[in-house]
Amino acid sequence: MAGPVLELRSLHKEIPRKDREPFKIFQNVNLSLRDGEFVSVVGPSGCGKTTMLRVINGLLARTSGEILIDGRSADAMDHELVMGFVFQGASLLPWRTSLKNVLLGVEGRGQNPKEAKQIARKYLDLVGLNGFENHYPHELSGGMQQRVNLARALAVNPRILLMDEPFAALDAQTRNFMQLELLRIWRETKKTVIFVTHMISEAILLSDRVIVFSHRPGTIRSEFAVPLERPRRMEMRSDPRFLELENTVWKQIEEEVNASGGFAQM
Amino acid sequence: MNERDIRISANLLKIASVAFGLLLWHVLAVYVINDTALLVSPTVVVKTAYEMLFVTGELYPHLFASSWIFFYGFFLAILAGVPLGFVMALNPVVRDYVNPWMATLYTTPRIAFAPILLLWFGIGGGSKIAIVFLGCVFPILINSYYGMRVVDREYVELARSFRLKPWALFVKILLPASVPFILSGIRLAIGRGLTGVAIAEWFGATEGLGYLVFFAGQTLNVPTLFVGVAAFAVLGIVGFELVRRFEAYITPWKKEAQGQ
Repeated sequence: MAGPVLELRSLHKEIPRKDREPFKIFQNVNLSLRDGEFVSVVGPSGCGKTTMLRVINGLLARTSGEILIDGRSADAMDHELVMGFVFQGASLLPWRTSLKNVLLGVEGRGQNPKEAKQIARKYLDLVGLNGFENHYPHELSGGMQQRVNLARALAVNPRILLMDEPFAALDAQTRNFMQLELLRIWRETKKTVIFVTHMISEAILLSDRVIVFSHRPGTIRSEFAVPLERPRRMEMRSDPRFLELENTVWKQIEEEVNASGGFAQM
Repeated sequence: MNERDIRISANLLKIASVAFGLLLWHVLAVYVINDTALLVSPTVVVKTAYEMLFVTGELYPHLFASSWIFFYGFFLAILAGVPLGFVMALNPVVRDYVNPWMATLYTTPRIAFAPILLLWFGIGGGSKIAIVFLGCVFPILINSYYGMRVVDREYVELARSFRLKPWALFVKILLPASVPFILSGIRLAIGRGLTGVAIAEWFGATEGLGYLVFFAGQTLNVPTLFVGVAAFAVLGIVGFELVRRFEAYITPWKKEAQGQ
């Protein structure tokens, strides 16, 4: 079997403070993802899971530890687009159409503009936005904006997709549709995914593995392989195995919240 | 009401407002003040304007002289203000170096500079352009600076996640995000630039709308005075409209810019 695509070794992040000990965000995170694996990270609010995603992508510097991609240090390949980041807010540039938003990471990377456009179109098609190429973000619904966001991250053909609560702002129904859409797109693109979410059921429905973070400073408290076959379907949410796992994960998060001083302290 | 009805009623309201204002002016001039050395009816102003435009043609030299000075000073202010604002936003050393000068020059009344500029540049175009430039440059500079400073952090992170080079970050993110701010600076500059034209032409000019107004005031020629003032207003309105159209053209993503 091939080695892991992404490997985190003793990853640690803290913020220095004046005249006080540093503020620890997360510590001692060890995690490895095999090719094409879908892993979700859940945990109490403020446990550092989003910050971890930013550190992995190099948006923030780590304090110590290692990030390896296909066995090589991520630092050495910083200029390569090995990771695509799907932001929580769609963060679409309002002055660019859907197509041009998707082009953002593609254009100016060697290939001619026509090829770049073809690539962008391909990914807009993939996320189901054929015909919306020339729409500006304000002309799109929240779900469609997140589709563009996803297409934009995918268009650079990254090895790894980092998703930071991408569906948090959507209404419940749109969210369900987007979860199924994400699964379809994941099947078609075979990306390795880290998906950060607050919603335990979302994590279980989507993932091969669910990672539970402790309260801050966050670290991996436990991990669960999801015992459901693929392709996943919405009905699986009432499967006893699903419900049992949901309960177990919920209890752990509850314990973490209580250990950090309780919900009222958050 | 649908969108079209709302637009029609808004336009009717504007027309009604202008008509009522003119009527009030007419009544005041003819029935209340009744002294042509102080105020004349808008009908007299229109008649005078008609004569100055189509009979004697004497308004054109003034109009051209003022427009020329205005556009020169205004465009120089854009050329200088926008890049300097950007550099200040991107480089704290430049910002701290320029700031004390900017704050001083911005808050000093421009009219106080007029005599010294006349002394330096003479009574030709140079000093007038300098006065207009001083009026226009600060709102443009400050808005360009501010526009680039307040670009959403999210967009900058996005650029980083795609590993955009600094130049691409500037061209694809910072510059377009700043455009609406720069345009509001330019809008402010129109009003301040026209004030600059008036000030500049009050000092030793021999033509221009400012000179026309000043001279008409000295000679108690009230109709001509009002024509001069109205010409300034028209220049301002034309300037605003041009900026609005330009904005609608280059920022098609902004509904607000297109709506009105």
